[in-house]
Amino acid sequence: MRKGLVLRRLQFRVLYHVFLLRVFDLELMSANGDPTRLLGQFAVMFSSVSFLFSLPGLLYLTGRGRLAADYGWTAEHFFIATTLTAVGMITVLNWDSVFPDRRDVLVLGPLPVRASTLFLAKISALFAASGLVVVGLNIFSGLVWPLLFSSGREGALDLMRAWPAYWITVFAAAGFVVCTVLAVQGIAANLLPRQYFLRLSAFLQAGVFCALLSLYILEPHLESPGALTAPGNQRLLAWLPSYWFLGMFQQLNGSMHPAFEPLARRAWIALGTSVLGAAAALLLSYFRMMPKIVEQPEILPGAWNNSWLPNFGNSLRDAITFFSLRTLLRSRQHRMILSFFSGIGLAIVVGYVTIFGGLGSVRTGISIALLIASILMLVFVILGIRVVAAIPISLSANWIIRVTQVRPSGAYREAVRFSWIALGVAPIWLLVAGLLLTTSPSWQVFGHLVVLFVLGTLLVELCLLSFPKIPFTCSYLPGKANIHIAFWSGLVLLFQLVSTGARFESRVLNRPLNYGLMILLLAISLAGLRSLTSARARRGAEVVFEEEYPVDLVSLNLS
Amino acid sequence: MLQLRNVHKRYSGIPAVEDVSFAARAGEITGYLGANGSGKSTTMKMVAGLIEPSSGEILFDGRAVCGDWMAFRQRIGYVPEEPHLYTHLSGMEYLVMVAQLRDMDRRSAAERIHGLLRLFGLHGDRDVSISSYSKGMRQKVLLSAALMHNPDLILLDEPFSGLDVGSSLILRSLIKELAARGKVVLFSSHELETVERLCSHIVILHRGKIVADDSIERLRVLMAVPTLEEIFSQLAVEQDSDSISREIADLIDA
Repeated sequence: MRKGLVLRRLQFRVLYHVFLLRVFDLELMSANGDPTRLLGQFAVMFSSVSFLFSLPGLLYLTGRGRLAADYGWTAEHFFIATTLTAVGMITVLNWDSVFPDRRDVLVLGPLPVRASTLFLAKISALFAASGLVVVGLNIFSGLVWPLLFSSGREGALDLMRAWPAYWITVFAAAGFVVCTVLAVQGIAANLLPRQYFLRLSAFLQAGVFCALLSLYILEPHLESPGALTAPGNQRLLAWLPSYWFLGMFQQLNGSMHPAFEPLARRAWIALGTSVLGAAAALLLSYFRMMPKIVEQPEILPGAWNNSWLPNFGNSLRDAITFFSLRTLLRSRQHRMILSFFSGIGLAIVVGYVTIFGGLGSVRTGISIALLIASILMLVFVILGIRVVAAIPISLSANWIIRVTQVRPSGAYREAVRFSWIALGVAPIWLLVAGLLLTTSPSWQVFGHLVVLFVLGTLLVELCLLSFPKIPFTCSYLPGKANIHIAFWSGLVLLFQLVSTGARFESRVLNRPLNYGLMILLLAISLAGLRSLTSARARRGAEVVFEEEYPVDLVSLNLS
Repeated sequence: MLQLRNVHKRYSGIPAVEDVSFAARAGEITGYLGANGSGKSTTMKMVAGLIEPSSGEILFDGRAVCGDWMAFRQRIGYVPEEPHLYTHLSGMEYLVMVAQLRDMDRRSAAERIHGLLRLFGLHGDRDVSISSYSKGMRQKVLLSAALMHNPDLILLDEPFSGLDVGSSLILRSLIKELAARGKVVLFSSHELETVERLCSHIVILHRGKIVADDSIERLRVLMAVPTLEEIFSQLAVEQDSDSISREIADLIDA
């Protein structure tokens, strides 16, 4: 009996360790990558952010002492919302690791490991990863800022009360978001047959990810007594969890304003419901799903055949476009990265439209806000595709594309260009066209749609210049493109550029001659870029698959 | 005819294939044998154009393949040793993609794909993701992809891997049939019995170098041994299999 317990504890520890390291997608890592080190790097990254967050707090502490109540609430809300979003995103990224996958069942099935041990290890690893994020993200700010959030009454005890209040609140907020995601997943797993669940799961995951990001960016600032008590805001507050937990913090801290009372109550109810919901849904679905993981195929057989698929003009275009589309739809990591970019884009679009104006204006038939929003959405989606296209889906499987290269590399370049336009430019263009043409059809709208298409193709050409390969098939050289760094550092410049461009476009949309000149200029730029990418493609007869450092970098020009 | 002339392949200076020269003729099944790591798959990959030889020449029908890789690729069908496939696609989607990449006519490609899937017993699972296929099913997808464009040169690297008995028998007959129809078949396998039944000509590789290149009959006579297994053991096996197996049994028994 005792021996069995010891064995189960040992098994739990081993499995917990393995699952904790699998929190990050290890397939992304190079062969020499160390998952423990990666986990450490993430911890350092989060604690660096926390250190930066703590600096203003230190300035307040050493200078003015206590904050004004309103600003204190803004800061409290910021830390709670940031923790909630970060933990939520990590949980969504771990979506597939909640349930054992086929590999887990096949490897652990023949071993004397109980399903309950496996379940506990999986869930513990998931909560431990979320806990690490909470600790990392608040390790410095959670020490400094609570001193500024104290209730205001004199005495060391009140001052000390702020720390546990802060940490309990951020852990409760994290627990709420983790349990809510688990409950959503568990309910879907219980209600749907496994194959349908897997199919829906992909979209659910991307949707939750997008929603978390958009909510964080778009959440209104209601951290004042006036805004918190305004009747018009009550419906909105009932849907914003970060404000519930702000209420919880106020309650625990002993600094409760009456406006926070309903929010604090809501936080406790939400936490309890999510914990119970997650526990019930997961326990039910876990043991129901375990046998089916091995028995059933993971994807439902399609009911259609390939004959309905559109023909894009030549077979190479068809092959690359459908391959790219299927990869975007079916690969979790690609879908998540694209959701990240689309989520930011969507949040900015909604923000612009709601803050700066409606869909149309009398003078131009289309508002500047909408011009900016549509261009930004296009930029974000194409950038997102550019980033994910560089990550291979299965590097070892690209041999088939290499042994079947029966056309010159220029044909591949043309097919890749078409696929980028079809998957990046066309959906956004159609969305904007549908929205604008149904609400305010005018000459200006048609004019903007032409500009949008030319801009989209220009962006595609720029992407082809920096990435002259077949999407999702080539090896990835980390750090070479540094696209993420370039993206974030260029974001401010991008807003400024797009904003100026949209204002200019808005002016010329009413002057046909100027508009014509603008289109001509864009068309000339497009033709120039296109001839440059085509000339590059003609230089090499073979399609490039291996990403390599430049020769002068490797050899240091010594040879 | 496929000819390899003094082909070498080195990885960071370490030789994988050294001075390999042989010919595989149309209508003939050439068995390419060797122990693990002897350089068989490297040779196959060089012929398929996946890796470049460090030196030497590969010719098909008298022309250097590197002169016109694209024309050569239209004429080869390759089944690799490992069934690396895009597993997020279904079997049908994968084969349609291969047909499109090969620039095959849409209608004839569809007919051939459906026909091959039906004959290989995969038609019922054609819309299921390859990730849930068994090893044998994946091998059948590879075989279909290699054969659907009616290639003149067929490179088979461990083609029987994972296949069930029925499918193995079909493939065995198919290889004979293809050779009888004038195809060049280069066939690599560890199943010596199958090689003995199928191949008229064998090439044995040991540590990257050719140690035998002849018909099985002539090798039997020359080496005065009755089976291919014994020929292979003498030329390419260095270990004493009985003593190693005894050591393993002793180790797990201890």
